[in-house]
Amino acid sequence: MTTQAPAPSIASSAAAGPTRRDALRLLALALAGSAAACSKAEDIVPLTEAPESLISGEPLRFATTLPLGGYGRGMIVTSVDGRPIKVEGNPRHPGSQGATDIFAEAEILSLYDPTRLRTPYKAGRPQSWEAFFSELSPRLDALRARGGEGLAILTGRVTSPTLLRQMEALRRLYPAMRWTRYEPIGDDNARAGARAAFGRPLDLVPHLDRCDLVLTLGADPLGAGPDQIANGSDFRKRRTVRSNARDMMRLYSIESERTLTGAMADHRLALGPEAILDVAWGLADGLDDAGTAPAASPDSRFVEALLADLDAHRGRALVLVGEGQPPELHALAHWMNARLGAFGATVDLVEPSDPIEEDHAASLSALVGDLHRGAVDTLLILSGNPVYDAPADLDFGAALDKAAFSAQLDTLPNETNARTAWRLAGSHPLEAWSDLRFRDGTASVVQPLIKPLYETRTAHDLLALLGGANGSAAYDLVRATWQPAAGAADFEAFWQNALTDGFIAGSASAPVAPPLIAAKPARPPRRESEGLTLLFRPDPTIWDGRYADNAWLQECPKPFSRYTWENVVHLSPEDARLLGIESGDEARLELGGRAIDATCWQDEAQAPGTAAITLGYGRTSASPIGLGLGANAFALRTSDTPWVAPGLRIRRIGGKGAALRTQFTLDADGRDLAPEHPLSALAALAGGEKKEPDSFYPEQPYERVAEEEKPGYAWGMVIDTTLCTGCNACVVACQAENNVPVVGPDEIARGRDMHWLRIDTYEHQEEDELRTVFEPVPCMHCEKAPCEPVCPVGASVHDHEGLNVQVYNRCVGTRFCQANCPYKVRRFNFFGYADGQEYANLGEEPAQARYNPDVTVRPRGVMEKCTYCVQRISSARREAEKENRRIADGEVTPACAGACPTQAIHFGDIGTKTSKVSALRREPQHHVLLEEVGTRPRTTYLSRIRNPNPALRGGSR
Amino acid sequence: MTARSGRGYTALTESVADPVLSAPAGRSWWLLFSAGLVLTCVFFGSIFWLFYEGIGIFGNNTSVVWAYPIANYVWWIGIGNAGTLISCMLLLTRQKWRSSINRFAEAMTLFAAAIAGIFPILHLGRPLYFYWLVPYPNTMDLWPQWKSPLVWDFFAIASYLIFSLLFWYVGALPDFATFRDRSRSRAGQLIYGALALGWRGSVRHWAAYETFYKTMAALGVPLVVSVHSVVGMDFAAGNMPGWQETIFPPYFVVGAMFSGFAMVVVLAAIVRRFLRTEELVTRHHFEAMAKILLAGSIVMGLSYGTEAFQSWYAGDDVDRTVVAFQYTGTYAWLMWMQIACNVAIPQLLWLPAARRSIPVLLVIAVLINVGMYLERILIIINTLSRGHLPSMWSSYAPTLWDWLLLAGSLGFFLLLFACFLRLAPAISMHEMRKLVFEGGRE
Repeated sequence: MTTQAPAPSIASSAAAGPTRRDALRLLALALAGSAAACSKAEDIVPLTEAPESLISGEPLRFATTLPLGGYGRGMIVTSVDGRPIKVEGNPRHPGSQGATDIFAEAEILSLYDPTRLRTPYKAGRPQSWEAFFSELSPRLDALRARGGEGLAILTGRVTSPTLLRQMEALRRLYPAMRWTRYEPIGDDNARAGARAAFGRPLDLVPHLDRCDLVLTLGADPLGAGPDQIANGSDFRKRRTVRSNARDMMRLYSIESERTLTGAMADHRLALGPEAILDVAWGLADGLDDAGTAPAASPDSRFVEALLADLDAHRGRALVLVGEGQPPELHALAHWMNARLGAFGATVDLVEPSDPIEEDHAASLSALVGDLHRGAVDTLLILSGNPVYDAPADLDFGAALDKAAFSAQLDTLPNETNARTAWRLAGSHPLEAWSDLRFRDGTASVVQPLIKPLYETRTAHDLLALLGGANGSAAYDLVRATWQPAAGAADFEAFWQNALTDGFIAGSASAPVAPPLIAAKPARPPRRESEGLTLLFRPDPTIWDGRYADNAWLQECPKPFSRYTWENVVHLSPEDARLLGIESGDEARLELGGRAIDATCWQDEAQAPGTAAITLGYGRTSASPIGLGLGANAFALRTSDTPWVAPGLRIRRIGGKGAALRTQFTLDADGRDLAPEHPLSALAALAGGEKKEPDSFYPEQPYERVAEEEKPGYAWGMVIDTTLCTGCNACVVACQAENNVPVVGPDEIARGRDMHWLRIDTYEHQEEDELRTVFEPVPCMHCEKAPCEPVCPVGASVHDHEGLNVQVYNRCVGTRFCQANCPYKVRRFNFFGYADGQEYANLGEEPAQARYNPDVTVRPRGVMEKCTYCVQRISSARREAEKENRRIADGEVTPACAGACPTQAIHFGDIGTKTSKVSALRREPQHHVLLEEVGTRPRTTYLSRIRNPNPALRGGSR
Repeated sequence: MTARSGRGYTALTESVADPVLSAPAGRSWWLLFSAGLVLTCVFFGSIFWLFYEGIGIFGNNTSVVWAYPIANYVWWIGIGNAGTLISCMLLLTRQKWRSSINRFAEAMTLFAAAIAGIFPILHLGRPLYFYWLVPYPNTMDLWPQWKSPLVWDFFAIASYLIFSLLFWYVGALPDFATFRDRSRSRAGQLIYGALALGWRGSVRHWAAYETFYKTMAALGVPLVVSVHSVVGMDFAAGNMPGWQETIFPPYFVVGAMFSGFAMVVVLAAIVRRFLRTEELVTRHHFEAMAKILLAGSIVMGLSYGTEAFQSWYAGDDVDRTVVAFQYTGTYAWLMWMQIACNVAIPQLLWLPAARRSIPVLLVIAVLINVGMYLERILIIINTLSRGHLPSMWSSYAPTLWDWLLLAGSLGFFLLLFACFLRLAPAISMHEMRKLVFEGGRE
């Protein structure tokens, strides 16, 4: 993988006085850039002059940073002919470690969203930026005269050093201005817990790779969020089981709703919020030297075993608490971690990358108060969508209307900019300069991959304008921020390194020595309430609603429920029975006088007495993709119960609609499809490749390569289900890489989808615990492929390297191949999903720009399926042939494998005994899906290995 | 045996030819024709929409990739089976009663097989390339993939269609000559004259005819068996539970004969009514066909039982799940309806009174056709809904277009049949005359 900085632009050479040639180039550039009329040419590559490194059609890769909830994750973006088409992880950035998540992968689609704002709007009419500036500048003069009185700026979480610097400068200019920072998925509880324990807010940077034991209390370190990739990567290092490495971390989860972490846990206890506190304080009592023995409870067996385990792993254990838990529990976890010697060992404390101390909810509430009092006449919303996602009791929309002048900067239409006076077109992170920090403080530059597609501005541009420095570009601002950091060293070299490495070396915050924790915090008073307790969760695919307009993320199945395009209420089967609600039923949720209607789903893993719903749905003003889907949980969320809201009443109001699901049962029907073994049983597994059943079909040259080495390549894949956390990164990566079309909710309701790779999810009861296993299923590339003999036109054939390939232009669409595929991995273009019958606005310009030029866009009536990213194999082959060598092991990485944060997917040549995949195929837990069918698949699995506590054999209760 | 010898050749000829050549069509015929015409418009309208919009208009999904169009195809080709069976098998076994029904049974075969042949094309994702299944010389140097049952299918249907057309036409030659001779209009004389290919009824003609017709009949029997065996192999050659069964080819042949005979009963009742040929198509004919239906229903019951038993006895979980799903799952009510229609209700035919009552027989025959359609569709959707991986289990529901296309194909059949009744000799006059002669001699 080569990383290249953008070549210098011609604008810089023009400074010395343009030659005739340069003048012509400038003219061309000016014409090309006329869409972005007054934006300056910066250091990105216009194709008017191809630099030496740019060969048409050859992909270039640039490091940049993509935000999630304000935190930056370093990424490397592939660009073809100036068109970014694929996001990959940056191996050197701590927030990525070479992997991606679904949000990063899907940014490509967001960039080319046809609904993007292309210009400022006032009262629904397009305007020029000049008009906005001329309306704003008299106000600014007045504000300056008043010392900033009446100016309010609302942002999401800000970690950008440049933005912070600009805000600081602005504060000097407008001392009385109000800066409100509100993130709907905030960290107020964690901050309050840290303040209680340490006296000041400190952020945790967990190091799962240093843990022997992890206990999560409502925490989901492996679930969606800014730290997901980093945690997944660390998790892998302590959960990889090989014949020569059988040492494995043990994971306990105590939680109310099933999280990805809970599904990976060796022991999981589903408890309501109060019961979690009981168990936590019971554990704390056990850890307290002065404490009493934990009180007897239904979970005492579990608690005792866990205590003994924690005690045995001091210095190697870690307790993590989720944001949904009360501050007291966060403080208690700090106390427990201190007792366990975790600080400095398994977790580090750092000064927050987000330096604002004020709580999100309090800050927004104060702003709403000011607005109502008429103390704010100029409101600039630089990021966030508070009309939609502010606590329902604040009624931000009504407050917003009080501001005499309001503007919101965003890439898309939303509920907030539908009400502000001005709707400002914001730049996408892939077309703007900025910088961001990761949780651990590591800073990295946001480097644009493309000139802004439209007349858009960044928050930096607007703040610069407020500061009176009209015309100072984000590029210069970001450089100026880092000028001091370069110190005496050559800044250009420093800058060049920051861009090529994708992060600024040495910018990570130094761990803070844990301040002494005074005493064990007291348990918060018990909250007794009638009815169920509603738990709010970030959505696993659209986060807090900011990705609702992204069709890849909408169509990405939610873990467990396997719903798409909709959020559902998770109910425990007991509660559902009592309420007379079946999966798929419509129900009315009433909470504190507010009500929403939502679809329910019975979740075997849901703690009785609780119901969970994800945020982000029910958008009323969005692009055609995100509009009107699911139920708006924000309508029930108030500032005092942002995560756990007791007193929920649910009643059934209607029958089943069409289920927008891609998997209808999690029950494996007693079949051993995703086997599981305890770590202790690993030695007893026979292992290796078993003799496969004989076949009537003649042997082909590409077969049985794993048994006897043959020349050439024999591609194969091994997926380690011990490591698969079900995060879906592979699914969206595959969609981005292979031009996999979106079918839309109507088609999903008809049972159709196009994902080449799906994550089969099975659950089963073992002893008294519910076990969940994820099994990613791409094409198996069977050596005896059942799809091939049945195709009447020979569109499904094998190549000499064992790939089962689909010849799109030969396919007539009989679908016999899919009918005959035991794995059902083929996907059929019932409509022209990518060919004239796209869902919603996906066929409009410039959405087509997202396509990977190396992969055919399939027409209607054609069958398609996973190719093992054959275009990447070809590309590696070309490179190898140029150098007259074999393709090296690990040189080809399919998109799914590249995206995986836990490196669960391995790809390579199984015909070479020394390759990594060959070694994995010899592991004892190696298994073949549906081996008895005799298809001899090239994609095989390593069974899920768990590391249960021997003391809990026979059940945890 | 059948035609009463009291009536002469003339009366017989008149009763078949006059309704076509001289009598006006009559209201009921026009009703039949209009119904057929309307539904035919629906059929071609649906086909147009299908080609325009794509096969997404059907109810198929990612797991259940086949459904109505394939079921329509199997069902129609099954119906198309009986005509040839009646003509060939009964001719070779000297069942003389066939003479009064074989002609329209053959026409039924021809129309049904032609309609059946349309559906495999309609179900394609890219129907315009259906000819890639044909081994024709092409610049790409590509032939079809001979291992695929769909290619065998192509040949089976094509040869069956050609055979059916030839056999029907040759059998009708002497009667076209009769029409030519009796036609009073110039156009009729010319058209029927051309169709009669100069048939003069000389001994030489008759000798050649008899040899050729018997030879064709001998060829026809294996063809009937092969065409439906190949249809069975479309499924049996797959590796899906519920499909991969050696019983499928014979089971499909019997099923085809069963549904075909049921359709002949329905059409015989129609022909009898419209052509007023109650003397020619008598209750004896219906009784003979009823016995065949009864035998068919027993074989079907046995097949269902064998299928279920084998999957239980083989002990394969995946197979057992499919069978359990057939009888207890989402579509179980359809399965029980199928058994009622195909196995239970036809047992009424043990009663001689039921066999002789045309209304009763007509109802049973219609129910058998419904039951056989259910069998075709259930074979497809049960297996595809409950495959090897529970993660991909799903359920299927047809759309409006699925129904319209099925109804439209029935209408198209009706239209063709109505035209046949008004334009061609619907009953084999020359064979009936033979019976009159033999009857007179006895």
